This record gives sequence, C-alpha cells and structure tokens, in this order.
Amino acid sequence: MAQHTLEVLVENSPGVLARVAGLFSRRAYNIERLTVGPTANPEVSQMDIVVSVEGHALEQVIAQLDKLINVIAIKEIKPESAPEVHDTQPDYQN
Amino acid sequence: MSQVTGAQSLVNSLEAAGVDVMFGIPGGAILPAYDPIFDSKIRHVLVRHEQGAGHAATGYAQVTGRVGVCIATSGPGATNLVTPLADAAMDSVPMVAITGQVPSLAIGTDAFQEADIRGITMPFAKHNYLITDPADIPRAIAEAFHIASTGRPGPVLVDIAKDALQKMTDFNYPTSVNLKGYQPKLAPNAQAIADAAELITQSSKPVFYVGGGVIKADAHRELLEIANLLGAPVVTTLMARGAFPDSHPLHLGMPGMHGTVAAVTGLQKADLLITLGARFDDRVTGKLSTFATNAKVIHCDIDPAEIHKNRFADVAVIGDVKHTLQALIPALKAALKKNQPDLSPWLRQMNSLKSSYPLGYDQPSDGSLSPQYVIERLGKISGPDTIFTSGVGQHQMWAAQFINYENPRTWLNSGGLGTMGYAVPAAMGAKVGAPDTTVWAIDGDGCFQMTNQELVTCALNNIPVKIAIINNESLGMVRQWQTLFYEGRYSNTSLESKRVPNFPMLAEAMGCVGLSCERPEDVDATIEKAMSINDQPVVVDFRVHRDAMVWPMVAAGTSNDDIMIARETAPDWDSQEL
Repeated sequence: MAQHTLEVLVENSPGVLARVAGLFSRRAYNIERLTVGPTANPEVSQMDIVVSVEGHALEQVIAQLDKLINVIAIKEIKPESAPEVHDTQPDYQN
Repeated sequence: MSQVTGAQSLVNSLEAAGVDVMFGIPGGAILPAYDPIFDSKIRHVLVRHEQGAGHAATGYAQVTGRVGVCIATSGPGATNLVTPLADAAMDSVPMVAITGQVPSLAIGTDAFQEADIRGITMPFAKHNYLITDPADIPRAIAEAFHIASTGRPGPVLVDIAKDALQKMTDFNYPTSVNLKGYQPKLAPNAQAIADAAELITQSSKPVFYVGGGVIKADAHRELLEIANLLGAPVVTTLMARGAFPDSHPLHLGMPGMHGTVAAVTGLQKADLLITLGARFDDRVTGKLSTFATNAKVIHCDIDPAEIHKNRFADVAVIGDVKHTLQALIPALKAALKKNQPDLSPWLRQMNSLKSSYPLGYDQPSDGSLSPQYVIERLGKISGPDTIFTSGVGQHQMWAAQFINYENPRTWLNSGGLGTMGYAVPAAMGAKVGAPDTTVWAIDGDGCFQMTNQELVTCALNNIPVKIAIINNESLGMVRQWQTLFYEGRYSNTSLESKRVPNFPMLAEAMGCVGLSCERPEDVDATIEKAMSINDQPVVVDFRVHRDAMVWPMVAAGTSNDDIMIARETAPDWDSQEL
C-alpha cells in the first residue's frame, strides 16, 4: 500500500492527540508514523502523519480528519517535494 | 460587573443560547448547576433515566429544528447519555449534553462517580469539551450550540468539573463564535451546480434519492419544486419519510432493505441518482458492488466526508441542500429549455412497478390482529398532522411503510444506530416541542420494556403522549431472521409479553390510561378512545399476531436485485419492461 504523509495543523488543546489517534483507530486507518511538535504559534501544533492507504481512501482520511473541530489545516506532502521529515520523536505504531 | 458562580454562568449561558427546555436529572457533580436552574425561566423536565433525557432532547430537536438539551451528573449519569449521543450522531440531530464532572483535582484519581465522558464520547460526538475553569463556560456553551446546529448537525457534550461550577467568575457571553477549524460551507460551488444540471438533462432514467438532510435543511419545498420541474421519480429513505408527500404521484416510496419494489428497483435501474442529503447507507444500497451499477451519481451533501465514502460521485455538490436546490432549480430550468429529456418511458416503467407491487400484507387466517392493520389504521385515523415516533424492529418498518407521511418532521425514529427504546422518550420530547400536536409512539413490546419509565415523567409533567404497543410477544425482527435464516430456531426471542407484564396495568400504575385491543373489529374504536383522551398519556396494548413478517425484504449482504416480496417469492420481473 502506498504511504502518504499528511502535515496537519491542530489547535494546541488538551485531548487533540487522542482525537486524531482515535479517528484513525475508529475508521480503521493504519498510522505508519506520527510525530507531534510545536509551531511558531504557541496555540497551534503540527502533526506529521504517515498513513498507508490506497486511492479514494486517502481523500476519506483527509475529509474525516478535517471534520475534527480542532484540526485547522491539512496538507499532503508529495514525495517529490517532500522536505525532511521532522523526526524528533520516536516512531509510534498503532 | 458583579461576579457569579460558574453554575450561574452556565445557566445564564444556556438562556443566552435560547434554550427554553431541557431534560435531565441532578446528581452530586452537577448539583451546583441545579440551584440556579431552580430560578431559571428554562423549563427543566425531570426524567427518570438519563437515556430518556437524551432521546427526549433528540425528539424535541427533530420536531422543532432547534437544539435539544439534556443534563446529567458525572459517572453513571453521563454514561447513560452515551446511547442517545451516539444515536444523535448517526442521525445528525442537533443536541447539546451538559454533564457534571468530579472536581478538577480529583480527575484521574478514579474518584466516586468519575467517568471520562469526554474520552468515551470522542469517537462519535461532533465535538466535546471538558471545562475546569469557570471563565471558559460561556464560550464553551456558545461554541457547543454553534457546532451542534450548523453544518451537518450533531451532538456536542460539555463536561464541567464541579469546582468550575462552584467558583466565582465573570459572565461574558460571546457575541460571535469563530472556530478556525470549523467553517461549514453552505453555498454550493457554481460549477458543480452547472455540471449537475447538465448531467440531469442527459439522463433518461433519473431518480431523486432523498435522505434526512432534506428535512434537516428544511428543503422540502425546494424538493417538491425540483421534482415537479423535472418530473422524475422520488424515493425517501427511512430518515426522509415526510420530506416529500407520500400522496405525490412521483413518489415511489421508501428504498432499502424493507423498501417498496418500485423504490428499490428504481434506484437499481436508474441511470442517474440525484442524491440529496443521503449517505448510501448499507440498509439502502444492499451489497454495495451491485447497487445501481448503471447510474451516475450527483451527490449533494453538507458533509464533504460523505462524498465518495461509499459510492463514487460523478458530480459532488458540497453545501446546505436548501441552498443547493435554490441554485440548482434555476440552472436546471435553463438547461431543460435547451434539452428536455423524455422521461415518459421511465415513468411508465416505475408506475407499472408501483401498481404491480404495492405494499401489502395478509390478514392472519385465525382472525387474530394483524400488526400492519393496526398501524395503517393509526395513520388513517390520526391524520397527516400527527407526529409519529417508533422504536426499532418490525413495528418501525411497518410504521415507515403503512403510514402516509405528508409533512416533514412528523416521523421520528432511530435510523442509523437502531436504538431499541427510542420511541417513548422521543415522543415525550416531541410533545414538549409541539404541545398542540398529537404525538403517537408506535412501539414494540420489547422496545417498550426498555424505556417506558418516562411515562411517569409524562404523566407528572402534563405531556400527554399516546403509545401504541404492537405486542407480538417477541423480539419480532430478530424472530423474523430466525424464521428465515436459522430454521425457525427461536433462541431467546420470545418475551411472553402477553402474559407478563400486564401493559394496561403498568400504564395505570405510571399515571397513564391503559387500554387493550386484540380483535380487528375493535381497532378503530380503541384508537378513537385513545384520541379522545388529551389530559393524560395513553398506552394501548395491541395484542397482535406474532408470525407477521416485514416484506418486501432484501436480505442483509445481498443485492437489491434479489428483493423478495414474500418468503421465497421474487417479483415477476418478466412481466415488467425494465
């Protein structure tokens, strides 16, 4: 299955990691890697999520993520333009 | 500005949000809120179980189009709200639930009556809050009502720590709500509207596939206008009964597992599905890979995540369906002037199916009472302004099939979650929301035994609902599946409800009028008697034949092409030109 990297800006509020992780679990999407870090704005955090899905399922992942009230923006990082992944945390598998 | 308690700030916030009624029960953690509730102009209906409060809130919401509100304490009070919250999520009902939480310093210590209700409801609530600072209460309440009632409606939970209710704070209700991550899009894209109009004029076999979103968006008038404009057939799903008049000649009825032959086949054979606020639920599509295989799809929905979720959409129109239809109607008028497709062969086929395979049922040969007959007479005698609620199972399907719905917001049921026990508390909420309208709950004997305690609430609070128990002394739908798929091995589906409980006596014990009926010739008089009592709730025990089955049926996991009109009986397809 193809891996896709999503750069997700979220409100830095309690429980937001649980909301995102819970969504992947509930909808049976597989997270390959998840890192969370701060941004220049202390009210906003960035999650980089690597997910293994095919075809339309990626649109579904993005659309469902976007429904979370605390999710502000989602960007798919295409491989050709991929910057270095901010791998400051150990990898988490679910 | 003088300081108030967090509890007073909560009540002020609810008043500012326009709440006029809420359903709930106090307990330890929420107790501080109940002191200012005592003085508030908001009507509080004291229920007997939190689940009743939750379904009453959804019943109220679906009848009025406003946000339904329920309130409970921490721990078990909150967990008892889980089913109604999940129910409201599945059926997109606007609802706000307020729960007390243990004091903030006790959170995480497994304190008495502590449950992480925010965590528990996270997978299905549209959003939720845990408030530990009283200063956050007004903003959380304002946001909760905004989120619950806009976009695709849904349930929002606000969990408030007890000390946040007790501490002093300033009350400042926000004048506006701006959430960076929540900006629902109401107006449809102009290009999508143009594409939709174009696709419609290219279709010779279109069907309007209408879901509950049309009722949520109050778009029934626009639906009537566009259906008449195009002259194409309409199907209304279980959640959309009443969105389009059953008496309209273009109406093929309800699609799905127990839909009419015409509605199911109309979707199957269509070359275009004009999908309005519907979500391609498995109960409608049957085996998805065989669903409407020749149809292109226009999918109009306010929730972008519904697009392509179950079925690819050739044209996706994201927006409020009322706005969408208001834009599509003039676009379609213009397109039809250039190219008016001839739908008459298609309509002829559909009308042939409609007349060949109307809904029907056999009267029991032993002279006993037919459940379908009871429900049909309830619809006829009480008329099209009546609000009906139902539980889940055979009686629900018969109530969807054999009552003619002419108006939106007159049919309330648990469509997505399939919550047995929904009918009585939902009827209570509906009657509070529409006190001058007759409200009938059509319930099963199984469902009724799950939530009937709310009849005490109704009796004491002048909420004169009417309950028709379709008593077949069984978990009827499960029994039907055992008949069809488990060789008639009736494992644990016999409830013996004609022996125990005595429903009329139970009703009388709860302060209601209890009636009973078991002969076909007594049905009309019994219904009329129940209709004549308006100062008390009425419960009628209709003691019906237990072997009646719901037909037509598309068995779970099979194709809609394999619809059966009776046991091992398919429609005579050879006689139909399709």
